[in-house]
Amino acid sequence: MPAAAAMLPLLAPGDARATLWQRGAQRITRAAFLQAAQRLADEMRGEAGPLINLCESREGFALTLAAALLARRPLLLPPSVAPAALREIAATHGARRVVADREEQAAGLPWRAAPQVEALDVATAPALPPIAAGTIAAIPFTSGSTGHPQPHAKTWGELVRTARLSMRRFVPDGGASIVATVPPQHMYGLETSVLYALAGGLATHGARPLFPADVADALTQMEAPRLLVTTPLHLRALLAAGAALPPLARIVSATAPLSVELAAAAEARFGAPVEEIYGCTEAGSLATRRTVEGEVWRLHEGATLVAHEDGAALHGAHLPAPVWLHDRIEPLDDGRFRLLGRSADLLKVAGKRMSAADLTQKLLLIPGVEDGVIVPPDGARERLAAVVVAPNVSEAEILRALAQQVDPVFLPRPLKRVAQLPRNEIGKLSRAQLAALLGES
Amino acid sequence: MSTQTAAEREMAALLIEALHLEDRDAATVDPSAPLFGDSESGWGLDSIDALEIALAIQQKYGVELKAENEATKRAFASLRTLSEYVAAQRGSAAH
Repeated sequence: MPAAAAMLPLLAPGDARATLWQRGAQRITRAAFLQAAQRLADEMRGEAGPLINLCESREGFALTLAAALLARRPLLLPPSVAPAALREIAATHGARRVVADREEQAAGLPWRAAPQVEALDVATAPALPPIAAGTIAAIPFTSGSTGHPQPHAKTWGELVRTARLSMRRFVPDGGASIVATVPPQHMYGLETSVLYALAGGLATHGARPLFPADVADALTQMEAPRLLVTTPLHLRALLAAGAALPPLARIVSATAPLSVELAAAAEARFGAPVEEIYGCTEAGSLATRRTVEGEVWRLHEGATLVAHEDGAALHGAHLPAPVWLHDRIEPLDDGRFRLLGRSADLLKVAGKRMSAADLTQKLLLIPGVEDGVIVPPDGARERLAAVVVAPNVSEAEILRALAQQVDPVFLPRPLKRVAQLPRNEIGKLSRAQLAALLGES
Repeated sequence: MSTQTAAEREMAALLIEALHLEDRDAATVDPSAPLFGDSESGWGLDSIDALEIALAIQQKYGVELKAENEATKRAFASLRTLSEYVAAQRGSAAH
């Protein structure tokens, strides 16, 4: 067990004049970042209470995190930027202010404009007090089964130690530069693009490139060796667009299952190993694998998994408490394991989770919907689909009713209306017949 | 609701096909409705959709989009702005 009094630096030790953030063509040094964090912390000490960090740029997000750590103000990372969700989290967790790029994102709550490092470089780095490992750094949320977001408070120690474990798998000894296509507010992006910068001292691109040409531009601005942190969705787009990327040392993927075919195509095209992270909001990353080498995962060093019938308990010296995983696993020797499948009920879209039973229930309670089934996403389809029997209501009406109750990423696409569902004699639906109804045969 | 041009209708059909929005009719969508955000008054699309749209546009019209570019951000406001932007890009590429 780590001692509660342990201290960890705000930024990994290193050359004060080395690049920490890349803002377009501009480079921001570690010294400049530390000075800006100190100044922003002075401003933040003027009030108390948690902050909601919606900054879109990684540099602005990390600067807010660093200053908030120094000022001892935890960051809330909401699961959705919908105004109602922000107001609920602000009310239940006492958030005092929203740090965001635009005032209209603050949902009427007190707002502060996203900060950025002003001087790109300064002559000397200010000495910064180390951060107590037990300081609450960030509170990400998962969408709870009750419909209310569930908080998962993360200490600085847990974030730093988890990031060091996954960095050991991905980052060459001499370091690497990072480009990430995922948001810093999500646990995966927080660990690989904000903690890798702070706890690992790695030069990181401040933007969140979306389209293939943006990803290529961002990577070209970074020095080799380069690490691309992304998702199966972005990888598929990079391949489909025929994007020309500079040499990569490694590609890291998470948020959705990556098919072996896609991983192999990306390795062949971009000349770098493609590795996946297995993780969750509750634990951060916990295991990795190179997808083309097979289905076996390697647990982080020092962690152990205890398998149960409908899930598994994760233990590790880097975690303040064991974490329950909603996946069934088969432990193998030497810290390796096989994933036997998500507990069948769990839907995962764009890194967000929802219970399939809960969504099906919401669908069936819509007036006019007589029967229906949710078809989970698969390798070819990013979104979940639905097949419904609803003779007197349109697809648009059903989707509108559902949109009142669930996050937009869980709206079925396509939503297909049929005369009846192909249930067999015991009322079960065949996957193949559903695929045929969706035109995926 | 404003009237559609032929190019807007073609773009609407491309979006409906690429995004599996078969409950919409390309002939009747409002070309000035916002593509992103609120689904009550507009399309209610998100960044996953933006990526699919960029790919579909590149494959159909050979126009490469960059989200980091301010002009592209403005282009994604509505069907009308998107259709105008793609037409302008194709025009400049042809000369």
